[in-house]
Amino acid sequence: MNFLNLNLIKNRKKVFSFSLFLISLSLVGILYSTFNTSYKMPINLGMDFIGGNELRIERVCENECSNISPDKVIENLNKVSNNKNLVNNIKLQFQNDYKLISIRTPYLKIEESNNLINNLETLIGPLNDDSKNTRLIGPKLGKKLLLNSATSLLVSLFAISLYITIRFDRKYAFFALLALFHDLFIVFGIFSWLGILLSIEVNSLFAVSLLTIAGYSVNDTVVIFDRIRENLKLKDIEYNETIQISVNESFRRTAFTSITTLIPLLTLILFGSYSLFWFSISLSLGIIIGSYSSILLAPSFLLKDNN
Amino acid sequence: MKRRQGWLFFIIFLLTLAIYLLINYPLQLGLDLKGGSQLTLQLIKEEGKVSKDELESVKAVLDKRVNNLGVSESNLQTLGRDQLILELPGEQNPLVASRVLGKTALLEFRIQKIGTTKELKRLQLQRFKINDLIEEYSLLEQNKIIDDFNNINSLLNDIQLTLNYSFKSQDLFSKLIETKLFINNEIANLFIKTELSGKDLINAGRRQEQTNNNWEVLLTFSNDGGEKFADITKSIAGSEQLLAIILDGESISEASVGGQFSNTGITGGLATISGNFSAEEARELEVQLKGGSLPLPIEIVETNTIGALLGSKNIIKSLYAAISGLIVVGIFMILNYRILGFVSVISLILYGFFNLALYSLIPVTLTLPGISGLILSIGMAVDANILIFERIREELKTGNTLIRSIDSGFQRANSSIIDGHITTFVSCFVLFLLGTNFVKGFAATLGIGVAISLFTSLNCSKTILKFLTTYPFLRERNLYLKKESFL
Repeated sequence: MNFLNLNLIKNRKKVFSFSLFLISLSLVGILYSTFNTSYKMPINLGMDFIGGNELRIERVCENECSNISPDKVIENLNKVSNNKNLVNNIKLQFQNDYKLISIRTPYLKIEESNNLINNLETLIGPLNDDSKNTRLIGPKLGKKLLLNSATSLLVSLFAISLYITIRFDRKYAFFALLALFHDLFIVFGIFSWLGILLSIEVNSLFAVSLLTIAGYSVNDTVVIFDRIRENLKLKDIEYNETIQISVNESFRRTAFTSITTLIPLLTLILFGSYSLFWFSISLSLGIIIGSYSSILLAPSFLLKDNN
Repeated sequence: MKRRQGWLFFIIFLLTLAIYLLINYPLQLGLDLKGGSQLTLQLIKEEGKVSKDELESVKAVLDKRVNNLGVSESNLQTLGRDQLILELPGEQNPLVASRVLGKTALLEFRIQKIGTTKELKRLQLQRFKINDLIEEYSLLEQNKIIDDFNNINSLLNDIQLTLNYSFKSQDLFSKLIETKLFINNEIANLFIKTELSGKDLINAGRRQEQTNNNWEVLLTFSNDGGEKFADITKSIAGSEQLLAIILDGESISEASVGGQFSNTGITGGLATISGNFSAEEARELEVQLKGGSLPLPIEIVETNTIGALLGSKNIIKSLYAAISGLIVVGIFMILNYRILGFVSVISLILYGFFNLALYSLIPVTLTLPGISGLILSIGMAVDANILIFERIREELKTGNTLIRSIDSGFQRANSSIIDGHITTFVSCFVLFLLGTNFVKGFAATLGIGVAISLFTSLNCSKTILKFLTTYPFLRERNLYLKKESFL
């Protein structure tokens, strides 16, 4: 019926080994991140969770902004500022042809943050206050946010599991949830690796993306399981064959849905504000992995051994 | 057929209503879209939980302070059990607000303990020195002269030795402030509490001192407070005991009461605090005293500042993302489903309008995460259509008539659609209950989107499709089914 015809029964082993491979890779990333990095956490927690100060501000330049080395700026800041803790832990970057400065420091009070901006202005020339974006998060609040995100994640996973268990037989519910945890674990693992390799940090929006992925992934699996259930009742074909047919019947739908969801996310990645960049990336990853697991992995669990 | 026509008019009515709402009640934009600052204030209680009353009374005091500061369009809200959020729109500097709001502002009047004159003099001398150093430091800092800090440093170390005090902080300025605080605390400890406190004030004001550029803060007591003040001043009039005005455990001014008051005390219910205030400091103290002291201390745990320019850039960026996303999804749908795709594009447009109208009705404050929730829910809305259209295609392929295929397509896709929407809705609900302000925006828009998409993709699409199929030329089979789909 389509030129794409998935043979689940034949490729079952390949699917399992592929997923197993992804899971192990994620596990390695998480373990490496927990024991072998400076932050000693399964994932590189951002300032939402540990507190800190983030400052982004644009420079006012005539034509082009002059090249300045970040090290030089930090060195000069060192001379002006007396706060050793601040100067030793500062991260400073120039972006957009030296037009945009982005700075990360440990938690500062508003006064100190203002001082920092004033000092910067004397060092590298005028800054555009209208383009400023600062965030100061105290370490106490950070801990609270982390706890909060973790609870929301657990509570909603529990609620989704409950709904699925009521709605389906126990077997279907179990496998749908297994596929869901598979997806979340892999996205988490990818971000562990991103933290290790590119120092990408996760913030509260990452927790939100995990929750959203959970909703989508279960949704996709449910649609396919619904189809399998319907066909098992209607058609008089062999069990494994029915599953395969159902998957192929739902394949177009799942692929199209993923595409229409990925399109807006892609436009968000391309045109959206930087604060939504990694959020959109993790959602996109989740949707790709979620589609894979609901088309290939979850139905493979349902297949029976012929031997 | 009649029923469907009824639906069509209903949808047109809703659309008109939505457009009317959007024109008359513009959307509320969050700080990340219009620029401004947001401060999160955390109530601090050593033991037990913060009660609702305590939270409300803290809010009442802060409300007064914010109003007296003269910040226009600011917004103070409670968040959860023990937090408050203050939003300052536009280009207001959060620095002043943080200074004024962050202080407990507990005002006390204390009488000096007998026999502490010598000790007080010693401390006052050190305070005089440290104030000098702070002034010098600020001057140097302003002119960016760094070399002379050594001088200040050694003078500060002298003071430290006389006081037998050990520093907590590392950088020079913090050390200076810290030492000043320590001295003021020590001075306050030489005094005994009286019955008179900030609660006895009915007003506060400020004026410039006549002799120099400094400012003083004027206090007006209530009747009761005025009597207490008279009694206190009477008790120490003419003696060597001083009266201290203590703010948050720090002495800000010590004064003697002249012998001429020994009969009646200082009457009239007025007092001034002259503690070498700058104009700004005097204003801040005035605002704090007018608002009264906080029943619980607070700490500012989060500050977000977004420039106005950045805010408008964020709007434009999100608009680009949303519109281009919609267009590409629309093209994709029309390419794949032809006339059905066209139907879904129309219901998507309806979906967009209904969403925005509901935001202005509820109202939902639109933030960046909120917009991403909206953009994401486009995918969800289209998903329902895809499920239905796939079913219709299948029905058509098995040889059913168009009308029957459409009917059973909608019917059979129902259960999957509802399942999917409920699971997403569950996530949104939990996020909304437990999430922070930032996250709530996302949960709200995604949740509303999911609910509305149930209506638009089930009802609106069906109505539009039924309407279109009343025209015979739109009933051509190949408008619905391509020979080869590209996937």
